[in-house]
Formats: sequence, C-alpha cells, structure tokens
Amino acid sequence: METSGQQGNGTWVAVDTKNLKVEGENKGTILVAKTSGRVDGSNAKEFQDALESILGNNATALLLDMEDLSYISSAGLRVILLIARQLQGKSGKFGVCSLSPSISEVFQISGFDKIIPVHPAQADALASLGS
Amino acid sequence: MLQRMRRHIRSGKYNFTFAQNGLEALAKLREDSEIDMVLSDINMPQMDGLTLLEQIPNVDPDLRAVMISAYGDMRNIRTAMNRGAFDFVTKPIDFEDLEVTISRTLSHIEEWREALASRDKLVAIQNELDVASNMQQSILPTQFPSSPTFQVFGSMEPARSVGGDFFDVIRLGNGHIGLAIADVSGKGVPAALFMMSARTLLKGAAIGSPNPADVLKEVNNLLSQDNDSAMFVTILYAEYDPESGHLSYANGGHNAPLIVHANGSTELLPTSGGIALGLVPNLPYTQDEITLGQGDTFILYTDGVTEAMNADYEEFGNDRLLNIFTSSPPQSSHDANDAVFHTVRTFVAEAPQSDDITCLTLSRGNFSS
Repeated sequence: METSGQQGNGTWVAVDTKNLKVEGENKGTILVAKTSGRVDGSNAKEFQDALESILGNNATALLLDMEDLSYISSAGLRVILLIARQLQGKSGKFGVCSLSPSISEVFQISGFDKIIPVHPAQADALASLGS
Repeated sequence: MLQRMRRHIRSGKYNFTFAQNGLEALAKLREDSEIDMVLSDINMPQMDGLTLLEQIPNVDPDLRAVMISAYGDMRNIRTAMNRGAFDFVTKPIDFEDLEVTISRTLSHIEEWREALASRDKLVAIQNELDVASNMQQSILPTQFPSSPTFQVFGSMEPARSVGGDFFDVIRLGNGHIGLAIADVSGKGVPAALFMMSARTLLKGAAIGSPNPADVLKEVNNLLSQDNDSAMFVTILYAEYDPESGHLSYANGGHNAPLIVHANGSTELLPTSGGIALGLVPNLPYTQDEITLGQGDTFILYTDGVTEAMNADYEEFGNDRLLNIFTSSPPQSSHDANDAVFHTVRTFVAEAPQSDDITCLTLSRGNFSS
C-alpha cells in the first residue's frame, strides 16, 4: 500500500516495484528519500510520484539518497530537476547523496553536478541541509 | 548596386524595400511586418548602420541583419556582430557572395520560424508514442556527405519505448560540415517536440555561426526560456573543415567523442564539460580543437552505447568502446559505425534494450576508388 504525505518519525515505502523502490524517512526537519534499483524512461513517472508523495505539501527540505541506485537515465535526471525546482519555488532545500561511481559519472557528464548539490554521504548532506 | 539588385527584383525572387538612412529604414520596418531581413551599409547619414542594428530588435526580434562594411574594417565589423548582426559582406561587393549570404540568411530565418512554431506546440499535444517515434525517425538524415577526402555515416537503433536520441549533419555555407549528436530527456510527444525544436534551433544557430561554443550557447538560451517542463538535451556539436581536416567541437553535457587512428588505437577526446542544454540560461560553453590525420575516424555516440546492458546487468562501458578497433581499424565511416553496433549487439545479446543506441562517424582518408 502506498502512503502519501509527511509521516511521523520512522520510515515508510513510497513505491516498491520490480525495478524501483523509494522509501521515505523523516530526519528532523529533513525528509530523506532512499532510492534503490534503477530509474529509466519506463518508471520515471513512478519515481516522480514517489518523491512528490514523500514531499507532501509542507516539506521544505528533501535529500535523495542514491546509495543503492544502480542506474539513472536522463528521464530520471529530469525528475530530479523538477523536484529541485518545486522546492526552490518554496524556498526549500534539496540535495542528493551517496552516488555510485557510475551515477556520479552521469552527473558529471551532463553537468548536473553543477546545478544540483551533491554530497558524498548522508551525514554530510543532513548537516548541510539542516544548517 | 541598385541596378544589380533590380535584376533580382524583376526576377521576383526577392522583394526589396529601399531606405536612404537608418531612420528611414526603421520607419519602413515598423510599417511593413512582412520584411524578413535587413541589408544595411554601416556608413549612412542621420542614423548609421550600427545604431540601426541596436534598434532592430525593438521592432521585431526575429529580424536578421546583414551589414555592408569597407573591406578590412574589422573594428566596425566586430561591433556589428556584437550588436547582433547575422552576417556581413564587404565592399567592393561580390554579388555572387551577396546572393549566397542573402539566401543563407533567409533559410536561417525559415528554420528559425519552424523551430519557434514547434516550440509553441509543446504545450498543446499529449502522449502518443507512435507519433513521437515517427517524429524522431523523420528528422534523422538519410543521406550523408561523402567526397574523395572524407565520409560521414550515422544510424540510430530506437529502444521500444521511445528514447530521445537524434543526430544531424549540416552543410555549412563555407564548405564546412556540422555534425551533431544529442539525447533528449523524457519520452513521448512532448520530448519529441522538444527534440525537433532543439534540432532546428541547432541547425539555425550552426548556419549562423562558425563557432561551436557560440552555437551551443545560443541554443541553450533559446531552450531555457520558459522551460517549465524541465526537459533538457545533451549535445555534442562539431564543425569539420574538409580542406584541412580540422575539427572544432563543443560539449553540452554529452559523452566525450572518440578518435580512432589508422592503426586502430583509440582515444577518448577531452571536452571542456559544458552543462546539458535547456536547464539554465546564459551559460558559457567552450570548444576544443583537433585535426584529423589521414585514416582517422571521429566517433560521436550516445549513452545508449556505453550504458547498453547485458543479461548480467553489466554495462558496455568506455573500455569496451575503446577496444573495438584495436585489432581491426575501420576502413570507412560506415565500417566504423557497423563495428560499434555489431560489438554492442553481441555484448547485449538477448537482454532488452532500454535506451536508443546512436552513433555518428566521420572518416578522413583517401576514398577515391
């Protein structure tokens, strides 16, 4: 069962399909979306719905943890950009962390690392977003 | 000059409206919205050509101006280009050159309108994958320039769900060849329309500028305007001079090109990492230069090649790409293209294809047989 909106403490599953799982976690004022599997043109919409459900209406800081994500296509990058813009529009904060070497390369080649804040690990990211 | 022009007026090819100075020209431009381009001397009484250039966008930002200057007057020519002139011709006027310049400017304007129109349509149309896939196929070139000294070949293998790859080969006015490869984010009709407008804007900008970095800068600015959909496109654009073998190329968030030498050794070429186009306006782009030797092949490709995955979820990767030609250097651009596709297909085997696979190749050599 998919849940929507901001929860209390603890974690919840926003989407869980064959190729993609996104879990929400509330870390104080920051929401973390932990993503595993792969994001491509075929599930980019599910990815977007999951992130939007985690964000809910009032959230102002979202961290996308990509530690267990093995692949992201340009359709997935577009979703990240859309979410970043949504938060920007509400003066919120957004960042990504824990990129695998291959995803890090995708960010570098496309230049996304110059427009989206990238953090090495969740702890750095939380410190930065919380400040 | 007027008399030479009148011959064309009689032939009905172009319609001219004449003005004695900048002020009169502005008045006539305001009166007649049918005018596409302005041909103006820099030296004129009352309002000179450089002042006129500054005023033209206020009348119609889509008007293009070609300036006439004294031969060697680089200072004024540079000022004119900085103020947005599309091109220039020098005195004494070579009428053949003038005609080429006029027709190039008009074809640029036509491409431009087409691009703006397809951009407007983005808002209206919704998902139909067939339409999108047809659009994608329809913009790909099917004939490639080839000569005794160089050959070009390109092909794309679309993924079942539409991806967003395209490539283009553009014949530029100076005998140079523009080569572009690109990958649009997203799928469906909106992405295909974005692709078409990116392709046409790129072509228009390429015809208008000899400088790949400026071409990407212009296209990025246009795509970034009001781009609420957050779609973007990665583009590698190169301009090739068949005479000298010189290539200049600029990168907007795309995979680095390859060069394969006559002995089969292969290198990834350096690119000065620009950002994908359509995301942020007013970004700078820079270009890199290389000269192809006899027997060299320049290879452009999309991430559908390097990220092609086999049944064990392994990616094809850069190393496999770099090793394709080690034991069998390509004999032509077509050959190189086939080798890339063949090697990727063999690697992927039965695993499903999740992204378009696209490759565009240029070979320099002796092809007169």
